[in-house]
Amino acid sequence: MADQAASGSVDKSVQVKLVLLGEAAVGKSSVVLRFVSNEFQANKEPTIGAAFLTQKCRLEDRVLRYEIWDTAGQERFHSLAPMYYRNAQAAVVVYDVTKATSLEKAKSWVKELQRQANPNIVIALAGNKVDLVQASASSPGAPSSSESEDEADDATATPGETPGASEPESLRQVPREEAQAYATEAGLLFFETSAKTGEGIVDIFTEIAKKIPIEHILAATRGAAGRPGAAGGRAGAQQEGAVNLDSTTKPKDACNC
Amino acid sequence: MSTISTALRNFKEPTKEQLTQIFFSLPSVGSLDGTEKTPAQEVEKMDINAVLSLGVQGEEDAYAGKLYIMSPYLAFASLDRKSVRFTIPLSTIRRVERLNARAGIYALSLSTWHGAKIIVQLTSLRPTADLFCSLLRDALKIELQRGQMRAVKGFVKTCYSEALVSTTSHVADNEREDGSLISEEKDDPVPRESTYHGGLGLKYKFPGDPKKLREASKIKLWTQYLRAHGRNLTLLRYPQCTRLVQVGLPNRLRGEMWETLSGSVYLRFSNPGYYEELLEKNTGRTTTSTEDIEKDLHRSLPEYAGYQSEEGISALRRVLQAYSFKNPELGYCQAMNILAAAILIYMSEEQAFWLLEVLCDRLLPGYYAPSMHGTLLDQRVFEALVQRCLPIIHDHFQDVDVQLSVASLPWFLSLYINSMPMIFAFRIVDCFFCMGPKVLFQVGLAILKINGEKLLQIQDDGGFLNLMRDYFASLGDSAHPNSPDPRARAITRFQELLLVSFREFSVITDEMILSERRRFRSEIIHSIESFSKRSAIRNLKSLGRFSKEQAGLVYDALYKAMCIVPPPPDAPPAPTLVSPGDVGTEEKPETRIELKTFQFFLSEIATWARDERIVSNGFQRRIDREIAEHEFIDRLFFFWDTSCRGALSFQDLIMGLDGVMFNDLMENIEWFFNLHDKNKDGFLTKDEVLTLSETFLFIFRYEVGDAYLGAVSRFMTNAFEYGDALLPPPEDEQPAQLNEQGGETPPAVPTNQPYLNLATFRMVVLADEVLESFFETDLSASFRLEPLPEMELPVSSSGLLDNIWSTIATDTNKKMFNMFTDEIGKTIGKHQVVHRPSIGRYTKLEEPKARESLLTPSMRHSASKSSLSAESVKTVATSTSSTLSVDVSVAGPGKGPLPSSGSGFSPLPMLHAANIALMERTPFAIDDAKDDEDESDEDLEGGDNDDQVMDEVDAFLEAHDSGLTEADKEVAKDLLTAEPVK
Repeated sequence: MADQAASGSVDKSVQVKLVLLGEAAVGKSSVVLRFVSNEFQANKEPTIGAAFLTQKCRLEDRVLRYEIWDTAGQERFHSLAPMYYRNAQAAVVVYDVTKATSLEKAKSWVKELQRQANPNIVIALAGNKVDLVQASASSPGAPSSSESEDEADDATATPGETPGASEPESLRQVPREEAQAYATEAGLLFFETSAKTGEGIVDIFTEIAKKIPIEHILAATRGAAGRPGAAGGRAGAQQEGAVNLDSTTKPKDACNC
Repeated sequence: MSTISTALRNFKEPTKEQLTQIFFSLPSVGSLDGTEKTPAQEVEKMDINAVLSLGVQGEEDAYAGKLYIMSPYLAFASLDRKSVRFTIPLSTIRRVERLNARAGIYALSLSTWHGAKIIVQLTSLRPTADLFCSLLRDALKIELQRGQMRAVKGFVKTCYSEALVSTTSHVADNEREDGSLISEEKDDPVPRESTYHGGLGLKYKFPGDPKKLREASKIKLWTQYLRAHGRNLTLLRYPQCTRLVQVGLPNRLRGEMWETLSGSVYLRFSNPGYYEELLEKNTGRTTTSTEDIEKDLHRSLPEYAGYQSEEGISALRRVLQAYSFKNPELGYCQAMNILAAAILIYMSEEQAFWLLEVLCDRLLPGYYAPSMHGTLLDQRVFEALVQRCLPIIHDHFQDVDVQLSVASLPWFLSLYINSMPMIFAFRIVDCFFCMGPKVLFQVGLAILKINGEKLLQIQDDGGFLNLMRDYFASLGDSAHPNSPDPRARAITRFQELLLVSFREFSVITDEMILSERRRFRSEIIHSIESFSKRSAIRNLKSLGRFSKEQAGLVYDALYKAMCIVPPPPDAPPAPTLVSPGDVGTEEKPETRIELKTFQFFLSEIATWARDERIVSNGFQRRIDREIAEHEFIDRLFFFWDTSCRGALSFQDLIMGLDGVMFNDLMENIEWFFNLHDKNKDGFLTKDEVLTLSETFLFIFRYEVGDAYLGAVSRFMTNAFEYGDALLPPPEDEQPAQLNEQGGETPPAVPTNQPYLNLATFRMVVLADEVLESFFETDLSASFRLEPLPEMELPVSSSGLLDNIWSTIATDTNKKMFNMFTDEIGKTIGKHQVVHRPSIGRYTKLEEPKARESLLTPSMRHSASKSSLSAESVKTVATSTSSTLSVDVSVAGPGKGPLPSSGSGFSPLPMLHAANIALMERTPFAIDDAKDDEDESDEDLEGGDNDDQVMDEVDAFLEAHDSGLTEADKEVAKDLLTAEPVK
């Protein structure tokens, strides 16, 4: 998005508050962890209230500093969520492709965000755990037994279901098309991801970065000094190559947490 | 797709007695379902002034305080309520002696099982002291009979402190000789093999370096203390005890001390075997809670070695599951796993289970409940305390829009265990169990205060969290690294934190927290309720044709109904929900109401679903509302229960109401028809026609005059006429064709069965203008969404009397008062009851002359006057009764004359009469308010003037009233038995 327009002003990073929401055990924390430190941490402590992480990213010539609020998924923490999504500029609503109810919950989160949160909020819908439904080639071995027990959520949420080579697609409860259609209708970014393999994770944050009205944020945070409108041309050209964000393997800038 | 809970409304402030129990950490009576409840346990309670001293020479001073007997416990607290206290099960007392002391002194010597002597001098008057002693004696006897005394010895063997003390002496065993006041068993017949309970720490090491923690010297100090002051069940808490706790409990003793200090030991003592039984009973059971627990097992203090082993994990699983079985309403909440994991390092599963119970129930009330109201409440309280104690920080947070709870919520929710390094968190937990929940607030305030300067620099939530994280990570560092004084350098930041907490924030007391909670409770409940209301509405799959506001009103009525007629508790919200097979349509638990609740709900919304009587008895006017019961309402319930669950969800109610509230004439007729067409074949049977007529009669039961009655009777005549006429010959007409023809030629299918089809029904209805207008507007309009008054305390603004009134006006009092005044009203002839009509459009077409004449000309009212009086009814009624939403003007729309109906309609005479009465009475209410002493005089005087009128009205009313219902019945009867007219 806004490219040269920004170039003059930004050597300083832009803060973007992002919140992760979704049903319990869909892998929110794993998504964040993959993004922030490109790794899995076995048995992460559960999220009480919300966890807070930051990650700097470079998008073209701009540095974004994501402030990520990873919220607790258990239903009873729901009433606390407004505390975390208030003022958020972006949200990632995560569901589990192997669990149909999780998409319902995601929809209700989206509804809530669209009504209660910052009106300009950029929302991305992420169907996580696609590794479980992909052909055996991409998910080698039985994941639950492999040393990467990382996604404890995965292992427990779908107990005993080792996506063997036989028919992994049968695990899928949310067809990609259905979720995609919903996302389009609701005006969301949409991704299918796997925190385990890393698939699609960085893309979420890249696309969000592109869609965020950065000029607005700058204007807002700088107060009077900020330039008023986001006059910068929305150059449709998305030069992926120039974007730091889109390379999954690259270790990120120092993670601040 | 949501659950609606009214649980928060049921909160009751603890009584004084309960507060005392809480203070002494006594298990609440009946907290366990029936286990261990002897009938003889009429809990005797008494307290008496006393002076406590120890029977050992040269020990601590004597303390004045209060001695309580709360069978089966004896408790003491010094006057300041904190220096000295104990809670001792009576069964541990082996001997009570009256001491031979100087005259005028009444002293008892209590010997506990381990040989300590406690001297209490009862400083009250002699008879009081005697009474206390006899209570004590009785209570001891009961304990003896229950065999509790026997249990003590076995039980204490599970306590580490005994092992600790006995390594050097054997007080416990030498002790037996002195017999006792009540003779008891000498020895346990079967000495228990099991030694003391302990946690995972015994095997997997305790966190922290024992040397650094100075374990050895702590153990030594504690051994001395426990030897002198009793231990486990009989621990006497002297100031020294608190001091020792504040420097940190030794690891090996920690679990037991937590249990003792928190009082969970009493639960374990009085419920032996409960934990195992509970687990056994529920083996293999899976619930939402157990599923949630599974997800978190490996994420609970994962860095601790014990939780990298199956042993630790399964202990954690069992404890959490057991608790969720014990308290299914609470179930499992994230953060409980962290607490449970933490305490399991120091104590056995059984101990942990009971401690968890005490935590969730008493120490952190409502923290882990599904609504987490306790958490939210305490966050609010904490914020208020910050505002009061640290106003500058509070203001800064406000300025930069930082929310305190983003950081502080996890502190409270996981007792700091999740926030700071474990060894420090556990020391806070030590203090927490010893000194109560206020510790959490004190520490929280101290954290903010110590970081005050830096906090004033932060600009957003993120900065706040980072600062806190850094601070917690540095707790082990020196607080004054640059000080020249080596002793000052040795003080860690953690020590500084505790110092600030308990020195500077000693003003924070448990009482203060209780009162702050009281202050904010309704605010929090209100916000939780409005949050769940919003999400319930948001989660509706369809709003139908309702606006969000209207849906909100439906929700309010539903909520009120659930408060007043709660759905049966034993049927959890979603009894027959998800069959695991139907993936995709799988549903979340959803609140559904049953018929009883539905009846109440409908009575809030539909005018004919309630019986409203306007009662006026010379002292007060009120509207008594009762829920009507009729087959029609049941029918509606099942009609709306589209998924055939025998219960309705919020969504069902919305769709059901949507199906009738927005209809036009034709739709309403069809709706009404379908409602009565049981088998949905498009035809009413003869019986169904009768039922339908009964429904009419039910809806019109309080209408004034004969218009409706006439309409119904005409309807029946016509219906049967047409029905019969069309019955016999041509059997082969196509229904579709019939419908097109608008019922001209309904079919004649076999007798008895299909009888009346929609088209015919429509025709019959439209033939009558009363029914036509009923279906055109009145039916839909009889469903009224009106804002309900706040269900909190009835707020009445009018003066002294009302204030007094509201304080004495509990529901039962009110009822009694109503009955009482009714009686008086009857004797002085001012008692009158008027049923409020549900529709109220038509009055009688022709009013009987005789009745008419009873109305004096002065009783004829202009419209404005009557509406004014309606207002007065409203105010009076709301001030006398909190549960009624009264609005006489609901009858309003019906009052307007209907052009199409031809003859002029006089305003409803009955309402009219009531209004007159009300008008006349209104001033007295004001008089009363001004001068309640002269109440009766005023009343009589004022009453005199209208006595005659009132009498007349009375006579009129009674005659009319009964006349109508009689007629009603008769007509109905006649109609029912009437032969179809050829």
